[in-house]
Amino acid sequence: MSDKKTARGVFVNGLLNENPTFNLVLGTCPTQAVTTSAINGIGMGAAATFVLLGSNVVISLLRNFIPNKVRIPAFIVIICAFVTMVQLLMQAFLPDLYSALGMFIPLIVVNCIILARAEAFASKNSVWLSAVDGVGMGLGFTLAITLIGCIREFFGNGTVFGINVLGGGYDPMLIMILAPGGFIVFGLILGIVNAITNKKKAKNMQEADA
Amino acid sequence: MKLFVSTPPHIRAHEDTRSIMLDVIIALLPTTAAGIYFFGYRAAIVIAVSMLTAVLSEWIWQKLAKQTVRIGDLSALVTGLILGLNLPPTAPWWLACIGSVIAIILVKQLFGGIGHNFMNPAMAARGVLIVSWPALMTAYTLPAVFPGVDAVASATILGDGGFTANYMDMFIGNIPGSIGEVSKAAILIGLVYMLLRRVVSWRIPVIFVGVFALLSLIFGNDPLTAVLSGGVLFGAVFMATDYTTSPMTRLGQSIYAAGCGLMVALIRNFGVYPEGVTFAILLMNIVTPLIDKYLNPRLYGAKKGAKKNV
Amino acid sequence: MHSSGEGKKQTKDVPIRAFVSDTVAIPMSMHIGAPSKPCVNKGDLVKRGQVIGEPVGPLGLPVHASISGEVVSVEERLLFGASPTMTVTIKNDFADEWVEGIKGLGNVETIDPSLVVDAVKNAGICGMGGAAFPTHVKLTVGEGKSCDTIIINGAECETYLTSDYRLMVEKPRRVVDGLRAVMRALNVYKGIIAIEDNKPKAISAMREAARGRDGVEVRVLRTKYPQGGEKQLIKALTGREVPSGKLPLDVHTIVINAATSAAIADAIIDGLPLTERITTVTGCVNAPANLQVRIGTMFEDIISACEGYSEEPGKIIAGGGMTGPCSPDDTMPITKGGGGIVVLGVKDAKSAPESPCIRCARCVQVCPMGLDPFKIKNFCDKGDLKGAQKNSVMECIMCGCCSYICPARRQLTAAFKEAKADIMQEARRQKQ
Repeated sequence: MSDKKTARGVFVNGLLNENPTFNLVLGTCPTQAVTTSAINGIGMGAAATFVLLGSNVVISLLRNFIPNKVRIPAFIVIICAFVTMVQLLMQAFLPDLYSALGMFIPLIVVNCIILARAEAFASKNSVWLSAVDGVGMGLGFTLAITLIGCIREFFGNGTVFGINVLGGGYDPMLIMILAPGGFIVFGLILGIVNAITNKKKAKNMQEADA
Repeated sequence: MKLFVSTPPHIRAHEDTRSIMLDVIIALLPTTAAGIYFFGYRAAIVIAVSMLTAVLSEWIWQKLAKQTVRIGDLSALVTGLILGLNLPPTAPWWLACIGSVIAIILVKQLFGGIGHNFMNPAMAARGVLIVSWPALMTAYTLPAVFPGVDAVASATILGDGGFTANYMDMFIGNIPGSIGEVSKAAILIGLVYMLLRRVVSWRIPVIFVGVFALLSLIFGNDPLTAVLSGGVLFGAVFMATDYTTSPMTRLGQSIYAAGCGLMVALIRNFGVYPEGVTFAILLMNIVTPLIDKYLNPRLYGAKKGAKKNV
Repeated sequence: MHSSGEGKKQTKDVPIRAFVSDTVAIPMSMHIGAPSKPCVNKGDLVKRGQVIGEPVGPLGLPVHASISGEVVSVEERLLFGASPTMTVTIKNDFADEWVEGIKGLGNVETIDPSLVVDAVKNAGICGMGGAAFPTHVKLTVGEGKSCDTIIINGAECETYLTSDYRLMVEKPRRVVDGLRAVMRALNVYKGIIAIEDNKPKAISAMREAARGRDGVEVRVLRTKYPQGGEKQLIKALTGREVPSGKLPLDVHTIVINAATSAAIADAIIDGLPLTERITTVTGCVNAPANLQVRIGTMFEDIISACEGYSEEPGKIIAGGGMTGPCSPDDTMPITKGGGGIVVLGVKDAKSAPESPCIRCARCVQVCPMGLDPFKIKNFCDKGDLKGAQKNSVMECIMCGCCSYICPARRQLTAAFKEAKADIMQEARRQKQ
């Protein structure tokens, strides 16, 4: 990675190159649990993005004031504040989604993407870059789990975003919206991503050799 | 003179992968025939679709992935046949198709092809189908030759439908169930053939069924009914004995078989599913690498009680 | 495991017959240990039994002329793919005259026991079952060691070979005499002659010959390859297991091949050096036979003596089908350890391609050493020598059972052989 970070580079990095779900394999717990439908994926992703943005900005602002020894508790407190905001907002304005995501909203606190970005990025970089990183990572996460949600909802329920796409005759494959389906889809996508990454690497190596 | 030079041994046993798979297919013939006899042409269609899809998916995958095409080793055919026998005779054709694709692509090829699957492909596919389409997978009909009608009886002896049968009907296969599992007599003929051909040893089927019967007795069931109903015998003879997903050492195989028996008894008596053979075998499949890691054969010349480096 | 009777039908009822060829090519390295030093020159006239190679080093053995005649060359020749070996070629004058000074010690029951080991050394005897370890070294019981049982290996579990079997059927007394000589030399009171139960004729002949001989007993073993492996034989007969990296003597036993025992008897009773041996010629030859041939006889001569190839040869094995090395052509000479020549047709010679392991567990179940061949093979394929070593690849005795039985036709034994060689090379490199 180059030493000089540009906002664009940081954003693309979070969205694709270091996609938290498919490349860093972080936050797999909500990835498995809430992706039974596409809308759940978007909701979860949006909530996490909001928290990421907020926590990254605040932690970056405070990065020179937080003593190193207590930085983790301090980060957690900041993250908690944003999660509580999200939770209350959702409960007030999106009660359906709130009840669908249930336990996993408060659990965003311990989502390792958020703490990892605080620790690895926000505590070392400027406010602007941290905000971009938060949004990039958040959108990367959203994109990933929405994709998983779409696939699982498509096979497991015959719908995408609640819209019936396979017609009434489709007998849904229930396993896809149950726990094993989450593992199967996640595993398959990880496999495809790895295959592409390995191919790229091999190509780069070849070019470097030549 | 042009001579070949190679490292010894220069002679090889006659059995190869293909001949072993062929033996398994031959051993499955009585079961297949009995299934078709009892359930009619629908059973034959289910089995045929399942076999065809299995072989076709393997061929297509290996072509696409530019691998050596190995459908000639007949292992895909065996998987398709076993999966077909694991479906109810009323299963729609697409169910058999999806099952075979899952077995071959998802469970077998994605993990590296023959010898590398971590679960029995047919069993895993059946597991996926049961969870996905529970109603279709348990829509058992009475055998066509059963006195009465071929009305859908969603209950087996294992369910709570109050269906009863005598031992003889259960042994011969004159009961509702999956195509391959009903005729215990046919399964036993297959077992005897495989034992004679030394394709499998007695260890896994006998210990599996033995432990299960004993536990059924302890849990207050009639052990004979328990063994003769559902897929215990089919699973113990044709699925738990799968080479790739069962342990290598004799002791390991015994532990694995006992684990299968235990899990079936637990699931049947305390689980939410009336039948537990599928999940029992899948669970023990997953335990197999662990068993193989810790149970090594005793090294010649090793001190008694001495541990091998693992 | 298969019955080790495999491939023996062709020759087991063919009586031993002698065959002497026009020329012999005698390599100086027919035993484990440093090659002998040739002590004759081109043009010399030699007599049978004359020393033509002098022993070198602690494992050295003398080499004797196996025919009388003229030395036509003393030069390096390529044998069995190893580095070139000094080889003395002699043209036969068919006088078959023994060198002077051949004198036996007489009856094995009355000889001076202290003379036995030297007589064995001077006769140039090494293990004739294939390993070719100098026998006098085996018979030297070192400080702090003891021996209570001598085992004569008449199991002949190797496929195709019947030379030991015919020897036991036709010359059982010689085998017993050799055993008694060794027992007396080492002051051992127990001698076991071990034969597999698929050789009833040999069993009864040996029983007859052993009758009334002190401490000699014939024991019948189950027919199961590799029953005649040294370690397996000791386990089956005494219940003792040779610990890893140790020798049979560490469990108080010495194992001697039946043919070696007969050679010892020849050396003690008649004073004859080792100049001939019985070898089984079988497979795709027109007249499969058990030939008594001179050491150094060429494969091509031996095969012509058996009326030639019956079909195009694809592979010539020096030894049995499970462990014998391949001969690159038919101009190899028979050595002291050469118990057989097996000719395979082109069809049988080709090895099937490897296919993926199906984890059938057959290799684990047949391994006589209790190894996990499939696991070790995985490490070998990955080039992970440490992993292979951790899984005891060094304990492998190269019996070939796993490769034989593998339905996926995997080259297990070959991979282990390579891994063992690499590991030993690495160990030597680190020592330096």
